[in-house]
Amino acid sequence: MDKRRYFARKILNSLLTIAIIASFNFVLFRILPGDPARLLVPKGRFSMDAMAKQRANFHLDRPMWEQFIYYWKDTVQLKLGDSFAQKRPVAQVVGERIWPTVLLVGTGTIIATIIGLITGVMAGWRRNSKFDVITTNTGMIMYSMPTFWVCLIFIMIFSTWLRWFPVGRMYDPGVTYSSWFGQMGALAHHLFLPAFTFAITYMGEYHLIVRSSLTGVMKEDYVLTARAKGLSDSAVLWKHVTPNAMLPTVTLVMMNIGFVLSGAILTEAVFNWPGLGLLSFDSMMQRDYPVMQAVFLLGSIAVIVANLIADIMYYYLDPRVKA
Amino acid sequence: MIPARLRNWILLWTPVVWLLLELITYPKNRPLHTGLAHVLAGFFAPSVGNYPAWVPLLLAVILGAYGVVKLVRQAEASALPWVLIAAALEAGVWFVAASGLLHGQFSLSGKHTSIAWLFQTILIVLIAGVVYARGAANPERAELTVWNTRQIWRLYRSNWQGMAGLYIMVFFVAMALLAPFLADHALLDPTAQIGAPFAPPTLSYYHWFGTTEQGMSVLAEFIWSARISLFVGLFATVISTVLGASIGIMAGYYHGWFSEVLMRITDAFLVIPWLPLAMVLVAAWGQNYMIIILIIGMTSWPGTARVVRADALRVRELQFIERGRAIGSSNWHIMNKHILPNVFPLIFANTILVVAIAILSETTLSFLGLGDPLNFSWGTMLHYAWDSGAAGLPAWWYLLPPGIAIVFVVLAFTFMGTAFDEVLDPKLRKREESGGSPDTGPDRLLPLGGGVGGATDMADVPSGGIWAGPADDWDPNARN
Repeated sequence: MDKRRYFARKILNSLLTIAIIASFNFVLFRILPGDPARLLVPKGRFSMDAMAKQRANFHLDRPMWEQFIYYWKDTVQLKLGDSFAQKRPVAQVVGERIWPTVLLVGTGTIIATIIGLITGVMAGWRRNSKFDVITTNTGMIMYSMPTFWVCLIFIMIFSTWLRWFPVGRMYDPGVTYSSWFGQMGALAHHLFLPAFTFAITYMGEYHLIVRSSLTGVMKEDYVLTARAKGLSDSAVLWKHVTPNAMLPTVTLVMMNIGFVLSGAILTEAVFNWPGLGLLSFDSMMQRDYPVMQAVFLLGSIAVIVANLIADIMYYYLDPRVKA
Repeated sequence: MIPARLRNWILLWTPVVWLLLELITYPKNRPLHTGLAHVLAGFFAPSVGNYPAWVPLLLAVILGAYGVVKLVRQAEASALPWVLIAAALEAGVWFVAASGLLHGQFSLSGKHTSIAWLFQTILIVLIAGVVYARGAANPERAELTVWNTRQIWRLYRSNWQGMAGLYIMVFFVAMALLAPFLADHALLDPTAQIGAPFAPPTLSYYHWFGTTEQGMSVLAEFIWSARISLFVGLFATVISTVLGASIGIMAGYYHGWFSEVLMRITDAFLVIPWLPLAMVLVAAWGQNYMIIILIIGMTSWPGTARVVRADALRVRELQFIERGRAIGSSNWHIMNKHILPNVFPLIFANTILVVAIAILSETTLSFLGLGDPLNFSWGTMLHYAWDSGAAGLPAWWYLLPPGIAIVFVVLAFTFMGTAFDEVLDPKLRKREESGGSPDTGPDRLLPLGGGVGGATDMADVPSGGIWAGPADDWDPNARN
């Protein structure tokens, strides 16, 4: 397929899906029981005036189709209203939470991908070996463990008993760091446990998917050909088998990165990590609807963009797409 | 006539299982001498936390699944709607009774238990009757079905992971069913302290797992939690599978814009981050396990739909579909009688995997404090443990039991799902048989995207394969 046509189609598809999701978002917060304006006025400061003001602000006094148009206009301009809890524009509140989440999820994903990839390749290459049996069953157990439970157990072991790592937050409260290195050290110290927990829950999944796609690839004829040519084991494994087995793994990793929000909520809530996950948890607890709406939209767009990136990577990784 | 084994199974085991369940679920706090009337009343009382009103539902689902496996796959496709309708009706009756809808307008407190009982009995008899009638109508096929089931069981038994999963599942289901005998429900009351807050475990029965932050027995909570956790997982899976399978089959069968629209919707649902969505919905609609079931069911179907669609695309291209069309079969007939039975093994194996995901989802929501505040589940227990700072004490006896139970149950369903996958899919099974030693792990873990598309290499399927995919132009599953 022509490169430009392929990309154009993928991007168009993504935009279409974003449009569907954004419309769904519009509907979702209007089918909630009660007057939407009621949701937009914090419980403590309720008055008829405040309601009327919010109605006018969000054009809730207009007919539905006009509301829909205004909703699109506001969303595109990032006019998402004010957070009840923090009394600041939502875009600002959400914006400053993105970086900690990216740091946490990025570190966790890198750890999980590297370890899962190596053990998965080794297990798939020597299927039914002792190493394979042990790592695969460990992987299944890791996959079955709820993230938040792992968080709690790790806090219990590493923070309460061993006192190796601090619990929660990015920095110690009330401490000013004299140097940049000191600050980074403290950050790394705080980051280790959440990132490692995050990695643990995905590691098993990556291990299993790499292993199973490796097994599939190893049955292909070209692997037999490579062996027949007299290539060494490591050449067959790293030059012929692994690159082909990478394709499903890329999809899965990108999919999980897309679902960063769902994955981060639990880890961040337990570790008190000031990212998007904690923000969505807090906003849910405080019934902070404007923030919830923004976070939900952002989370969906992240998935779609990650999928798009996976598709684009596929174009370069998988020569069959080009054909 | 109908084979003796099948007849005996129905005539003997249906009432025996029924009676056993009645006895097992007899509420402990009622004196035995008050008789059968109380047993029945307790059994069908609408409250889920206290009395196991959901047991008949579980039974109907199991029976339905059994009937489906036993009959539809090989013997008789038209039994499926009956079984599904039976299960749906059962669920509906129970839904109405349990939600207390009837209490608001007019009191049926005395009557609705008996009405529910009547309904359930009729439905169970109906299901059994359908099984019986189908067997009687075609004894050869019934014989084949029995034989097939034995073959499946033989293959399944040789899979150690599947058996391990089954044993774990039986253990936890038994714990859930026997909860009234294992722990007094009164101990779940917030005022029922049995000791100091956060007291470590001792040898006395209710102190085995120590106490909570309120001085309540962790063991009692742990045992009763099994009910909600399993029930929510199973019921949400039923919703998810029915939705996913029907959308998948339709999307796979039809060409053109209709299929395209269905897949667009599926893709859109696939990218919605389910946890924030579920949080919004639970926060808005109220914290009730019914709503949690609905939400989990409605957000977890796209994976199933994609996998089923991929397989339906394969089946659609087989020749007997074309033949069916040539002799003028309607679309509904083809989907129901030809495509569904051929896709069914995949749906079944997938369903078991979805249970694991649904249980994890319920646990996650409960952990975040969105669970049903009136009923305990393992997630709710962990929520209270987290809230009260058990990890900082450290009160390991409060954190470990629910977490380990979740890991075991999820692992059990994953094991069983992958085992069924291998047993029911000739392509996977063949590799195992030719490979010599049994396999160690799953090849299809999650119903995520991809799935099992593509044509099966029919030359590889052994001619005597019991679930062998249709090799030529006749449909081994259909009987018109």
